[in-house]
Amino acid sequence: MDLTLIVVLVIALALFFDFTNGFHDTANAMATPIATGAISPKKAVALAAILNLVGAFLSTEVAKTISGGIINEDPSTGVAIGPAMIFAGLMGAVIWNLLTWLLGLPSSSSHALFGGLVGAAIVGAGVASVNYGVLLSKVLLPALCAPVIAGVSAYLCTKLAYAITKRQNGASPKRGGFRYGQIFSSSLVALSHGTNDAQKTMGIITLTLVASGLQDSGSGVHLWVVTACALAIALGTYTGGWRIIQTMGSGLTDVKPAQGFAAEVSTASAILASSHLGFALSTTQVASGSVIGSGLGRKGGEVRWGTAGRIALGWLFTLPAAAIVGGLAAWIVHFGTPGLVIVTILGVGAMLTIWFASRKQSHGSDGTMSDIDNSGAAVNILTKKQRRAKAKAEAAQAKLVATQKDADNS
Amino acid sequence: MIDWVAFAIVAIVTWIAAMLIVTAYSFGVRLLAVARDEGKSTGLSKTGAYACFTVAGLIVAFGVVLIVPQLSEAILGMSSSH
Repeated sequence: MDLTLIVVLVIALALFFDFTNGFHDTANAMATPIATGAISPKKAVALAAILNLVGAFLSTEVAKTISGGIINEDPSTGVAIGPAMIFAGLMGAVIWNLLTWLLGLPSSSSHALFGGLVGAAIVGAGVASVNYGVLLSKVLLPALCAPVIAGVSAYLCTKLAYAITKRQNGASPKRGGFRYGQIFSSSLVALSHGTNDAQKTMGIITLTLVASGLQDSGSGVHLWVVTACALAIALGTYTGGWRIIQTMGSGLTDVKPAQGFAAEVSTASAILASSHLGFALSTTQVASGSVIGSGLGRKGGEVRWGTAGRIALGWLFTLPAAAIVGGLAAWIVHFGTPGLVIVTILGVGAMLTIWFASRKQSHGSDGTMSDIDNSGAAVNILTKKQRRAKAKAEAAQAKLVATQKDADNS
Repeated sequence: MIDWVAFAIVAIVTWIAAMLIVTAYSFGVRLLAVARDEGKSTGLSKTGAYACFTVAGLIVAFGVVLIVPQLSEAILGMSSSH
């Protein structure tokens, strides 16, 4: 098959991936300010789209990580894998993403992308074609560290916000003021989303251009690539808005304005700092870490470890699972043009099937507004009454132990 | 191989930036609440509140300037590459 045709195919698929990413993540940034009534849904969605667009232009560090780091360069032929393999990897990621979305499994589109790419590279060009050092230090370890960093930050910030606004003599603290702050903190999250997630697609397109000899390796990201990716993610974010408006009010976790503000500021800070150092994060995972951290920071917050564990398991599963799908696609593509045609047909077929299945279900699997809501469910916040009952029970228990000790001693 | 310093930087920058922003904004919210209770001489509390909100905004703006290479070169006169 013509090389340029494959390149065009990869770019089209990459932009589609970018679009679905924006579509999927609108709710992550804007769900809370809409829910608290700080901003109207239409305005929120437009704001998120514009800030994603702006964010995509701010930094290209993450794109460089993907285009120049994860896949080893062959000294004689440039990049070790060809555009067809990248196409296979991307297809693996897209199929895995749609499948988890349909089944309502917690997943990370970013990790699906890396998984698909790594799987395709291993099958297509051997185990040595992947730079595991970069994969570990810029993708896997940040995936573990960043949500924890954001969670700790959100915990501390929530404590701080409540402590500072606490008033003596029972005067009203009027924490509703945080609602307006949330417009800004959510905007920051949308901006940081653009600096990290749009970059991933830019990295893939640049990698493809380098692999097919259309661009020098080691050179930066072309402006038209940045522009195309920025537009795709902004358009996806904007179209994702209708879903928010439709599912408003269903299954929203109980997030107070002060807590939401602390969580969002923490998320945005962690993502922006990571983007600057070229860490390719899953923004959903970071935001989830913040939501759990801020929930714990509130009085009476407790982690439901079962729910949290299930979410973490889904995340761990994403990369290897997408790698298997990507590897499978690469194996088929290996047979040349017929293989490529088969993968394209299979991929488009899977997309259409999943699309129709999701229409029929009408939000059956998509009941909660976002993955962040699922993470919010991992924190149980006790009411005042429950807290008192728990303290009473604990005190009684302690008394019992003490009297027993006394009995043993005498 | 693994750049642990980079992780430390991300952690410290995240914690400091987020806590500064939240602290500044929280004081703003508190001062506004005070202003609403006082009845008279609310001017000072209100001005303080808006000053706090401005500080929070400036911290965010500074962070964005640090991240964007073009802006940090133009405004701070230094390259933001690490």
